[in-house]
Amino acid sequence: MKIGILSKRKTGLTEKICAYYKDRGHQVTIFTENELAVNSSLFEYDFYILKSKSLLFFYTGYFLHLNHIPVIPDPIISYKHKHRVESYYSIRNCGLNPPKIYMGTTESINKQTNSLGYPFIVKPLMGSGSKGLKIIRNSGDLDYAPNTILYIEKFIEGTHYLAYFIDDQICVGKKQPFADEHAKVEIIAPVKDIQQALMLWKTKYNLLFGHLDMIRETSTGKLIVVDPGTFPEFSNWKGNEEPVPKICNLILKRYQEKRDYN
Amino acid sequence: MKKVGLIIDKYHLENKVKEFIAYMKKVCKLSLYVEQDYIVDFTEVKFDEDLFFIKGKGDVILNFAKSLEMDTDIPVINSSNGIWLAYNRFLNSSLLRSTGIQVPNFSLNPKDQSPPFQNFIIKNVRDQDNYTFYPTIKRSDGFIEVRDKRALQEAYGTEAQYNFFYYQEYIESEFEYKIYGIGEDLYFYRQKPTLMDPDKMKSRKAIDPITELGEIACQVMKLFDLKIISLDFLKSAEEIYYLTDVNSTPNFNYLKNGPENVGKYLISQAKK
Repeated sequence: MKIGILSKRKTGLTEKICAYYKDRGHQVTIFTENELAVNSSLFEYDFYILKSKSLLFFYTGYFLHLNHIPVIPDPIISYKHKHRVESYYSIRNCGLNPPKIYMGTTESINKQTNSLGYPFIVKPLMGSGSKGLKIIRNSGDLDYAPNTILYIEKFIEGTHYLAYFIDDQICVGKKQPFADEHAKVEIIAPVKDIQQALMLWKTKYNLLFGHLDMIRETSTGKLIVVDPGTFPEFSNWKGNEEPVPKICNLILKRYQEKRDYN
Repeated sequence: MKKVGLIIDKYHLENKVKEFIAYMKKVCKLSLYVEQDYIVDFTEVKFDEDLFFIKGKGDVILNFAKSLEMDTDIPVINSSNGIWLAYNRFLNSSLLRSTGIQVPNFSLNPKDQSPPFQNFIIKNVRDQDNYTFYPTIKRSDGFIEVRDKRALQEAYGTEAQYNFFYYQEYIESEFEYKIYGIGEDLYFYRQKPTLMDPDKMKSRKAIDPITELGEIACQVMKLFDLKIISLDFLKSAEEIYYLTDVNSTPNFNYLKNGPENVGKYLISQAKK
């Protein structure tokens, strides 16, 4: 089969997935942003793997999807989980707790900090993990141009978790607040509500694998989902099985289901 | 009296809706939500308006509209999804073509690669801001290359956002056809294409309805869930109409009784 991988880099998990498929006789091309032209030339591939979710890759996934070329994971779901307001509704719609979120300009937020209350966190509207995040503890921290549109979340004091799932297997780690996926975590036995959250999320959006960043709020004990991801690197995965073969086989199986359906 | 909320940005408020606001104040209770002054609280979405009208495309506006769609039963015109699709050029070109509507050939290509067409226009990837089209035109050996300054800034400017361009194949056309849709009412105009004459109003004329374009307009309004819209078409030498632009926040001041007609339509759509 001819498989395209849409990925911002050719290293890491992308490289391993590529090697796994190549070893089994498939032709694989990794498309990074610098070499990707989005037009009918892409139709010669059997399916695509949406590893990264920059705007260009999302456009590509949507274009392929409309032209009946399978894209895994689903590009529309991936977009919704990357867009923080959309993901707020995705979290809420499967019965999980999202953070409190707001949007406004620097100027309008500055005027209402009394009702909002410090601290809060500015995050990129399109993003995941800790990239571009800034904790605002006082007005001096809000040093953006007055008309900059900001997405903000109420700061949650609590224990942070990184929780992966691949099919029915899960792996949960305690992590430092706002550390990225690659930072060291302390692997723990998953408690019931974390397990339930992962399975609800997986089932609701028909996902093969992914992760949720969650915080157990100290004051209430509530589990709050702050950041979902459709294709993590699984840097901290400590499951029974190696992630790469499992992920690759799940993707192939999903492709076959989509092909049979079409 | 119905209560209508207008969600708008400062630019549109100061430049585009004076007559509309004056009309609306006579026929309904009008509340204003200005993007630059308002904070959207997604956990407290409680309003008593009978309808919200969206005039703008900024992220605060769109996500405010989204929150209303998710958490209230108040009609929102235009829908957040429709506006989002309309300003994402590549998405709407892809969607339109997938449903059989003729659009010029299009492609996304890395900014430093050769253009995919001999005659082309590079347009901004997302038509979300309130700037006007600012083309640089190069003609040589019978070919035409048009580049919108905004698109070049997006890729090469000090705050570059993309490493790629949205290319649209250039369609030579004597006229540009502009169709406005307000609910079920369509208004037909033609003018010299902007590239030939930037003063679009100078040559604009109302024309008799063109059935084919009317049908496409209705199809697009349904597909995108847009109730108020303007569409631009070009007609090729082979007499094929190509849809080149979908605008979800049209300037209805150019229509005869435009502000009033939009206002009447909105009131008709308000919650009963």
